[in-house]
Amino acid sequence: MAGGSAISGLVGARVHRKEDRTILTGAGRYVDDVQERGMLHCHFLRSTVAHARITGIDVEAARGLEGVVRVFTGADMSAITEDLNFAQPIPGLHSPAYPAIAHDVVRYVGEPVALIVAESRYLAEDAAALIEVEYDLLDPVVSTTAGLADGAPQLFEDVPGNVVHADEQLFGDIEAAFAQADHVVTDSLDQHRWACNPMETRGGVATYDRGSGQLTYEASTQTTHTLRFLLAGWIRQPIHQLRVTANNIGGGFGLKFSIYREDVALCAAAKAIGGTVKWIEDRNEHLVAAGAAREEQLTLEAAVKADGTLLGLRVTMLLDAGAYPINPPATVYAGLVRTTLPGPYKLPAYQFSHKIVATNKASYISLRGPWAVETLVRERLMDKIASTCGISPVEVRRRNLITLDDQPTKMVTNVTLECVTAAETFEKMIGMVDLDEVRREQEAARAEGRLLGFGVGTFIEPAPGTQEFWAAVGFPFGAEPLRIRIEIDGKVTAFTPQTPHGQSHETTLSQLIGDELGVGMDDIRIVYGDTDATPFSMLGTGGSRAATMASGAAVYGARELRTRVLDIASHLLEASVDDLEIVDGIVSVKGAPGASVPLGQIAMGCWLAPDQMPEGTNTELEYVASYDGEGGGFSQASHACWVEIDQETGKVEVTRFLVVEDCGRMINPAVVEGQVVGGVAMGLGGMLLEHSAYDAEGQFLSATFMDYLMPSAPEVPEVEIEHLEFESDKVISSRGVGEGGTVLAPAALLNAIDDALAQVGRGRVMATPVTPTRMLELLGVIEKA
Amino acid sequence: MNNGNTTREITLTVNGRKRTVTIEVRRTLADFLREDLGLTATHLGCEHGVCGACTVIVDGATERSCTQLAVQADGREVTTVEGLNGPNGELHPVQEALRDHHSFQCGFCTPGFVMAIHGMVEEKKAGRPSPCSRAEIREELSGNICRCTGYQSIIDGAEAALAAGAGKES
Ligand code: FES
Ligand code: FES
Repeated sequence: MAGGSAISGLVGARVHRKEDRTILTGAGRYVDDVQERGMLHCHFLRSTVAHARITGIDVEAARGLEGVVRVFTGADMSAITEDLNFAQPIPGLHSPAYPAIAHDVVRYVGEPVALIVAESRYLAEDAAALIEVEYDLLDPVVSTTAGLADGAPQLFEDVPGNVVHADEQLFGDIEAAFAQADHVVTDSLDQHRWACNPMETRGGVATYDRGSGQLTYEASTQTTHTLRFLLAGWIRQPIHQLRVTANNIGGGFGLKFSIYREDVALCAAAKAIGGTVKWIEDRNEHLVAAGAAREEQLTLEAAVKADGTLLGLRVTMLLDAGAYPINPPATVYAGLVRTTLPGPYKLPAYQFSHKIVATNKASYISLRGPWAVETLVRERLMDKIASTCGISPVEVRRRNLITLDDQPTKMVTNVTLECVTAAETFEKMIGMVDLDEVRREQEAARAEGRLLGFGVGTFIEPAPGTQEFWAAVGFPFGAEPLRIRIEIDGKVTAFTPQTPHGQSHETTLSQLIGDELGVGMDDIRIVYGDTDATPFSMLGTGGSRAATMASGAAVYGARELRTRVLDIASHLLEASVDDLEIVDGIVSVKGAPGASVPLGQIAMGCWLAPDQMPEGTNTELEYVASYDGEGGGFSQASHACWVEIDQETGKVEVTRFLVVEDCGRMINPAVVEGQVVGGVAMGLGGMLLEHSAYDAEGQFLSATFMDYLMPSAPEVPEVEIEHLEFESDKVISSRGVGEGGTVLAPAALLNAIDDALAQVGRGRVMATPVTPTRMLELLGVIEKA
Repeated sequence: MNNGNTTREITLTVNGRKRTVTIEVRRTLADFLREDLGLTATHLGCEHGVCGACTVIVDGATERSCTQLAVQADGREVTTVEGLNGPNGELHPVQEALRDHHSFQCGFCTPGFVMAIHGMVEEKKAGRPSPCSRAEIREELSGNICRCTGYQSIIDGAEAALAAGAGKES
């Protein structure tokens, strides 16, 4: 294991993380660690009902409480802010604007109805208890089907029929595909709502400087620049007077990709009061109000030949969007599911339709691979096709997978696939599993009254995806910038718009820059999370972009500075550039270490006396690189899952989990493996334990970690990982790997559970989560509730 | 009305330093450590006793600091992550083991795990029953939630810390 002082060959090594000293000693600056002089504390009073008209709010007693500085009702807040409006010019999209604090109608349990600013959080919560809100109850909509029903309560005047967006797209000759089919295989899945639940909740500290008029918002966000530019308009703050920063961030998983009404209210409050205000969401608020994900119902109909060859696929999706839109628009999720769903399979014809429905719940938000349901339903369908055609799950995939030999080729959704190795990861994985042994073990277990299951799955992941891919989805695929500077003493500072929150970018970007510039890890600093310092990007950290995009920007930036430095050194050392190398910050002639000049000496000359540097050389040692992704690309993996089901308690135990992944060239295998295991754990937890549940009145039922069950160490299996590391001929052949585990693990798990159920003659899982109760229903031990 | 600011004087030792403070009775130990003493390594992930991010050592035993009041620590000795490092900021052997195994990602859960694992190592050093197998370590750490890592790398680090007996001093 290399330490931080290695000077070359950093890329590909399991170097120690630069982040670790900070986090292991607790020296980080997470947003709740911020304490400013005179700082005030905020608390939101939130709606206790799912759908109601606010007919009155009495805040007088709260205002009178000692230590309370200000109480903002919805009306107070709307007087100083614009409504949040995420609408985009997307045909057919109904994206209602809404206030930072509700003043008219509340549409989910947890919607903010007042903001209290006080000298302490304790006092702010005391004050909240003194506020009386009168609600005139309206009928709630708690499911997509209820929302679409005739005569359903309408959430918004400008969302007719509660349909936020509906669309249908056709690819290829779907009618012909079904006309030729030997079998039509149907399937469906009702996925439940579950949540990102980063261990650090949302929060921020906003400081308004009354002298300069500048507002600084220290946030827990995945995307500082987007937060800044949306916030500016909504709090009526000139954008050049608004700075957004982020330091340590305790996880995001997609949740912190949007801007929320609490951000707007908090910053507007700081401005109105003229000081520093802090809001830290507690876990209860987080579970209730921060939004959740994955609530989608899909139906599928596949036209297949007798040998299992896919001919065509019809898919419909209903997506429960909750009440209020956030960023990105819901059409992006639908576009992602639609475009990705055919996966690494040959599919000649495809029809996809979706309806996105508004309901009285917290917002539907991104969660680690927000398109994941496409892989879940496709991989389950492949197993069902296999059983219909009397072939094995392995064989059905072999007959349909696109191999490297088939490429380049186009997906039916018009996305070019190149260097995609899903089939190769699958073969490698199958080669590692003795399938006959798996079946023998299952039989032996059944003879003892035990029930084992085995399932597989494979997929591709747009990490980062391609121009074509994102065009098909309807989302921009921008280039990634990075500013890099060789400091006056030869040390290196790089400024990235990435906002890492666990992905180890300080380490991986330093590895890349270190190798390019011949400087050690400790001599490089990565600056992130400051809109005053970092170049603009809409995206920040999300969508598994960094491994390709930020890496590319770092490599191109470092190479440009290397070229400049070597050009100068070649004059100073009277040697050809080709004969020079930089090792540990010293430029020297290869094979003649005596002929050398320290990088720091060149830098000193460039910064202090550029006119004395060799003529015709470029002495600018700061450069903004931009990387376009060279067309981008995909990650891929195959998973295999072994389960044992306790037929008395209904508990599903994952007894073994195998991942064969290919994210191209690994910058740091330890970082890759951490992302894979963490992703798998989240996917399994989501399927077996976690549920953001509502009752028929729209009351939220999972408001603590006693109700919302997070996977803890004993519930998570040891994950075995094999890497393929297929390298394309591109300069950057590293691909993202942060989301894939969460996307694919649920599919392998449900296939394993279905395999077990089939052995005892029971039907498949049709709805998640697969809690012990649901498992007992599936096993026929208890009646369906 | 009574706005909850009944106060009491307490004396306790935090990271080896004795302090006498007058504090609101309702203030949690976690808030006292974080806000009043500025010891922000102790994190709050749930404030209802489930996630373990706020784990500290009180009189030699690992405890949640979010579900107890500061006044309950009167006369006791509290150690937080800030109390583990050497005089020149050297990593504690437990921290080194966790670093060597790339145990963590975002770091929010981390101080809680560091203290929980430190507690396990101390138990072992004191000759009390302590976990041996990976499965036992997983059980032992089931009161700490990490959303990022899937635990495997944490178990790797904990296993190494336990195997090494993780140093002499605590
Ligand atoms: S914050 Fe104390 S257990 Fe979660
Ligand atoms: S490292 Fe992020 S919660 Fe554990």
